[in-house]
Amino acid sequence: MTTKKEARARRALFSAGGYHGTGLLLAIFFLAPFAITILSSFRHGTEARLPPIPPWPTTGVSLDAYRSLDSFGAGVWQHTLNSAAVAIGTALLTVIVSLLAGYGFSRYRFLFKNALFVLIIATLMIPFQSILTPLFIILARLGLNNSLIGLTLVYVTLQLPFSVFMMRNAFDAVPKEIEEAARIDGARDFRLLVRVLLPLVLPGIVTVAIFAFLNSWNEFLAALVLLSDNSKFTLPILISAVRAGRLGAIDWGAVQAGVTVMSVPCLFVFLLLQRYYMRGLMAGAVK
Amino acid sequence: MSDSGVQLIEVRKSYGSMEVIHGVNLTVPEGAFVVFVGPSGCGKSTLLRMIAGLEEVTDGEIAIKGRDVTDLDPSVRGIAMVFQSYALYPHMTVRDNLAFGLKMQRTEKAVIDERVAAAAAILKIEQLLDRRPGQLSGGQRQRVAIGRAIVRKPEVFLFDEPLSNLDAELRVSMRVEIARLHRELGNTMIYVTHDQTEAMTLADMIVVLRDGVVEQAGSPRKVYEDPDNAFVAGFIGSPRMNLLDAVWLGDGQVKLAGRPEAAPIAGDGLAAGDKVTFGLRPEHLQVGVADGIEARVDVLEYLGGTRYLYCQLADGQPLIVEYRDGPDVRSGDTIALGCPADRRYVFNESGLRIR
Repeated sequence: MTTKKEARARRALFSAGGYHGTGLLLAIFFLAPFAITILSSFRHGTEARLPPIPPWPTTGVSLDAYRSLDSFGAGVWQHTLNSAAVAIGTALLTVIVSLLAGYGFSRYRFLFKNALFVLIIATLMIPFQSILTPLFIILARLGLNNSLIGLTLVYVTLQLPFSVFMMRNAFDAVPKEIEEAARIDGARDFRLLVRVLLPLVLPGIVTVAIFAFLNSWNEFLAALVLLSDNSKFTLPILISAVRAGRLGAIDWGAVQAGVTVMSVPCLFVFLLLQRYYMRGLMAGAVK
Repeated sequence: MSDSGVQLIEVRKSYGSMEVIHGVNLTVPEGAFVVFVGPSGCGKSTLLRMIAGLEEVTDGEIAIKGRDVTDLDPSVRGIAMVFQSYALYPHMTVRDNLAFGLKMQRTEKAVIDERVAAAAAILKIEQLLDRRPGQLSGGQRQRVAIGRAIVRKPEVFLFDEPLSNLDAELRVSMRVEIARLHRELGNTMIYVTHDQTEAMTLADMIVVLRDGVVEQAGSPRKVYEDPDNAFVAGFIGSPRMNLLDAVWLGDGQVKLAGRPEAAPIAGDGLAAGDKVTFGLRPEHLQVGVADGIEARVDVLEYLGGTRYLYCQLADGQPLIVEYRDGPDVRSGDTIALGCPADRRYVFNESGLRIR
């Protein structure tokens, strides 16, 4: 009896060990790049040129890399601000438009509703690089080239098909009866949307906002093509300049510092909102 | 227009070219408990939703307490509705769910608190006020949904199959509770269900609907004992009335399964030789009557207090008999059935009752 029990306990130990061991190994794989980048961004300027082993600061912590990064372009603060303005603006505008569009597509009956919806989704199939030139021309005509607002509008446009799809699913998942109960309770139109429906589609909104934020924060090609003024560049363009180096000499410390500056807000946004984000994906999946 | 609770005048509803409610006329007395019953797709829910204002009325008029509400917004009709799926606001506490309608009307906070407390006391949900719907059981959710209706102090309560999502035991206790609520509040209540036990036990007036037409409206006793047509006769009562093919012989007799049977009616409008439907309720059939209708027992269901005998007449027509006590009957036996004269119903070929 005891031996059987022991054998079972041993097996349980092995399987738990295997499970957690595999998990830890995978976690290390995923976390190592972050750790290496962040640690090495704090190395001394002199250390930055040495081979990157070990990747952590050996001669004391220093902010040399960040100072060096700040010497590129119009200063790292300016570019971070540009990126933040574009990313937050894109997220906000995308949420507002897709919220209203999703509500309309989900709840109202109108002519060519499904055809219009398919048309919107179909634009996902157009590779955006192929319409970059026309976009550039349109923005130039509108006087929006080389402006962060113009870039934001382009990002919102690119973000909308997925977002409208997402929000329509989110609204479809809300039972009609809840809306009817609210109408009997006297909530109409805007109050109905804000007081009753908005909290119910929050996971969808968060998902749309995270996608819009991350995609516009990381976007490189459109920003490179549409912006020409040094002071208006977003972070990805700055980083590419840092990566290209000056006179053939690449400051690896500055590159690591730039990558850190770029990834921290993404991590922050994602970790803050992941709870809602996961629910949002589920809601879309089941329906 | 009379000052009744709810009045429907030639109410019609069409979706495109398809009419689903065909000119319903109905007067619901104030304070009455009215139940709409009918098979699924008969338009009972649609009719209720039209009274609520959730479906547009294609033609006709709806009045609540003598006021024409046909084109009014649901929130100003003086109605409150309880949905089958409860339709509580999942992101609000029970208290906020109850108060939401009053908040939308910009009622004073003190009044809201007072009414919420009163409704919670009536439904015994005071201890749940700070929970969210997700933390409640089905029965508790249904109470909250009813509470949300009470708080609005409506002229008319509308219930759309409110008990169908509950398990059998809870359904019975909530049914009693709704009856108690009606007695306490005294409001007009309109209740949609496909469960005829609910209909029979709760209603002052039953409205039997089929394909968007009112087949009969009357007290539970009236629709059970004196049905206007074969559909109502078959729909009300469980197990359903046996509707047997027969031929009118005249002189208060029909030919059923090859032999004459007394059918004590005048038979106006019938000619000898006309096909008729002869209706006998399973619970009115007596077993072992001398010179009765002969039937062979195929299957026997034992339910404790009663037994259902699934029989066949001599010409093969099926017939159900409710058998309470008497000598044992086994499948394969042949039994002789009788039925009191005033419990025999005759319907003409188009299903109308002949009296």
